[in-house]
Amino acid sequence: MKILVCLKQVPHKDARLEASGGWIDEGGIKFEINQYDTYALEEALRIKDAGEAEVVVATIGPDRTSQALRTALGMGADRAIQIWDDSLSGADSLTIAKLLAAAAKDESFDLVLMGLMSDDANNSLTGPMLAELLGLPHTTGAMKIELSDGKAQVERELEGGSLQVVDLPLPCLITVQTGLNEVRYASLKGIMQAKKKPLDKKGISDLGLDAAAVASKVTVDKLYVPTKGEGAEILEGSAGEVAQQLVGKIKELGLL
Amino acid sequence: MIEWSEEHLAFRDALRRFIDAEIVPNLEELEHGDTPPYDVLRKLYSTFGLTEMQRSRGEAVVAASRKADEARARGEEPARRQRQPGGNVDAMAMQLLLIKELCRFCPGMVTAMGVSTGLTGGALISKGTTAQKERWLTPILTLEKIGAWAITEPGSGSDAFGGMKATACRDGDGYVLNGNKTFITNGPYADTIVFICKLDEGDDTPQRDRRMVSFVLDRGMPGLTQSKPMRKMGLHSSPTGELFLQDVRAGRDRLIGESESAYGRGGAKETFGMERTGVVAMTLGMVERCLELCTAYAKERVQWDKPIGEYQLIQLKLAKMEVARMNLENLLFRQIELAGAGRSPTLAEASAGKLYAAQTCMEVMLEGVQLFGGNGYMAEYQIEQLCRDAKVMQIYAGTDEIQITHIARELLRD
Ligand SMILES: Cc1cc2nc3c(=O)[nH]c(=O)nc-3n(C[C@H](O)[C@H](O)[C@H](O)COP(=O)(O)OP(=O)(O)OC[C@H]3O[C@@H](n4cnc5c(N)ncnc54)[C@H](O)[C@@H]3O)c2cc1C
Repeated sequence: MKILVCLKQVPHKDARLEASGGWIDEGGIKFEINQYDTYALEEALRIKDAGEAEVVVATIGPDRTSQALRTALGMGADRAIQIWDDSLSGADSLTIAKLLAAAAKDESFDLVLMGLMSDDANNSLTGPMLAELLGLPHTTGAMKIELSDGKAQVERELEGGSLQVVDLPLPCLITVQTGLNEVRYASLKGIMQAKKKPLDKKGISDLGLDAAAVASKVTVDKLYVPTKGEGAEILEGSAGEVAQQLVGKIKELGLL
Repeated sequence: MIEWSEEHLAFRDALRRFIDAEIVPNLEELEHGDTPPYDVLRKLYSTFGLTEMQRSRGEAVVAASRKADEARARGEEPARRQRQPGGNVDAMAMQLLLIKELCRFCPGMVTAMGVSTGLTGGALISKGTTAQKERWLTPILTLEKIGAWAITEPGSGSDAFGGMKATACRDGDGYVLNGNKTFITNGPYADTIVFICKLDEGDDTPQRDRRMVSFVLDRGMPGLTQSKPMRKMGLHSSPTGELFLQDVRAGRDRLIGESESAYGRGGAKETFGMERTGVVAMTLGMVERCLELCTAYAKERVQWDKPIGEYQLIQLKLAKMEVARMNLENLLFRQIELAGAGRSPTLAEASAGKLYAAQTCMEVMLEGVQLFGGNGYMAEYQIEQLCRDAKVMQIYAGTDEIQITHIARELLRD
């Protein structure tokens, strides 16, 4: 069994973010592995613990992201792939999916696991796109994964707390929800061993791609925090007075 | 070493995740109540594979000790352990990181852990016989059993060696022990106690000049009483207590090194060096946390329509804290480098580091409270606890005044 876990490094949940142009100002903030992806990694490691499996982690990101890969190796992944080129800064989901697909194509993974979405961009696109590029059956938002006889049975979370059970033949790609397992800590010994595990750094051309073919189609125009309180008007007075004013406003604005 | 490596940071991040999940939610009970720290420390050990590592370490110490005995039996000089240059860097860095990270929230917890594994375990490793190591060492290193190391008495602290009243009298092939110890970390809960006293040979040698000996005692031995935790200013996640010994009978198998000259001043001094080194890592964790809390508060707290961080008097406090943090970190990196080179700091160097660390930490915490104003004085804000905890750094492991005398003695030596 060979499993690929794709993970992304995102700003730490407690980081103070400042928007600058199309993205946040990355200087001086701490990063961590995207929450959703940690569950995907844990699921892969559980499969490895239960039988034989090689777990490969891959990320697309600058130098700082090797820290996330080391952590994953410390938790028990076997090797890591880091893909980067400065032209990839601000890459859209399709670009990311193309790069991951190129890295995965000759590896014949039996299973690709990743988070449902990233904590920072919230797109939920990379998983399904990658599956399509690799020609793999896929499903999203897994709450439970069971493997047997060359297939995966997946419980997915739907709106309103209902669950859907789907079967997929292996190889396949599954994106996972948070909470489907309890994510382990990297042990000290694991972290020390991680130092000796392979971490392959690759550029776009190492993947046999050219920059134009993977250029992003989506550009972010602006990232900002909406100013609070704009357009809000606070009505004052007793409950009766406020109610009366409110009715007046509703009529005035023709809302009813 | 000029920077933490990727592996060090990975360990730090994993520790922070554990601390956020297991310690921070219980900080109130740990730091304002009487909840002993041992269960969460054991959980920390098992989570990070430290229990297994410590078990292997204990077993390796026993095996090496046995080999040395065999060599001596053949009339050979036992081979000294070869230290691999560089090999200790990671081990030392990880150990100090663990101390530093825990101290961001619970300096007491580190005290409890350090006294048990470092001082009690350390005494057995350096001076115990093979049989004593086999009997007590591994469970202490893994925290399965809690250790205490008792030298201070109601009448002797700084002058612990000279002023000590506790005695051991020979009795048949064993000893009878008497005396009281106070301020003993883990005293109330300890399973295994290293008890340091004077050998009373029944002659008229003044007590001050009598030879020091030490024993390993077990909880529940007849005549041994362990007090309840003492009330104190801070450091609540480290229980501190008194020990009362009344005619406690101890066989020769409990005499450390099974020799009346094994664990004298040299043994205890070695222990002091280790304690003093640990304080640098402790204070770095506390100062780092204080700086984090203070920068956030300086940006958030508004007076006269401006965040207080825009006032230069507040900026001065923050800048000084950062200078302290950098100095402490560099001291720590030096310790790691020394370990990597297979060297330990001299006692004077360890004292200088400890003195600087303790005083700096106290100054930083007081300024931290000041920066928080009234909120700084309220227990709801963590800075209040850190400030109370900082004071002990200037008292235990040798007071500031005693560190100064050790540094000066070295400087003035002929
Ligand atoms: C929380 C806590 C935990 C502790 N844990 C342990 C433990 O596990 N095991 C253990 O054995 N002990 C422990 N101690 C004891 C600690 O080591 C002593 O408190 C410390 O060494 C100081 O001794 P003392 O309290 O008797 O003060 P004293 O020695 O009475 O000192 C009083 C004051 O006089 C000063 N002074 C004393 N002599 C001189 C001198 N020659 N020149 C100048 N100034 C001097 C001191 O610096 C101090 O300011 C602990 C203490 C605390 C507070």
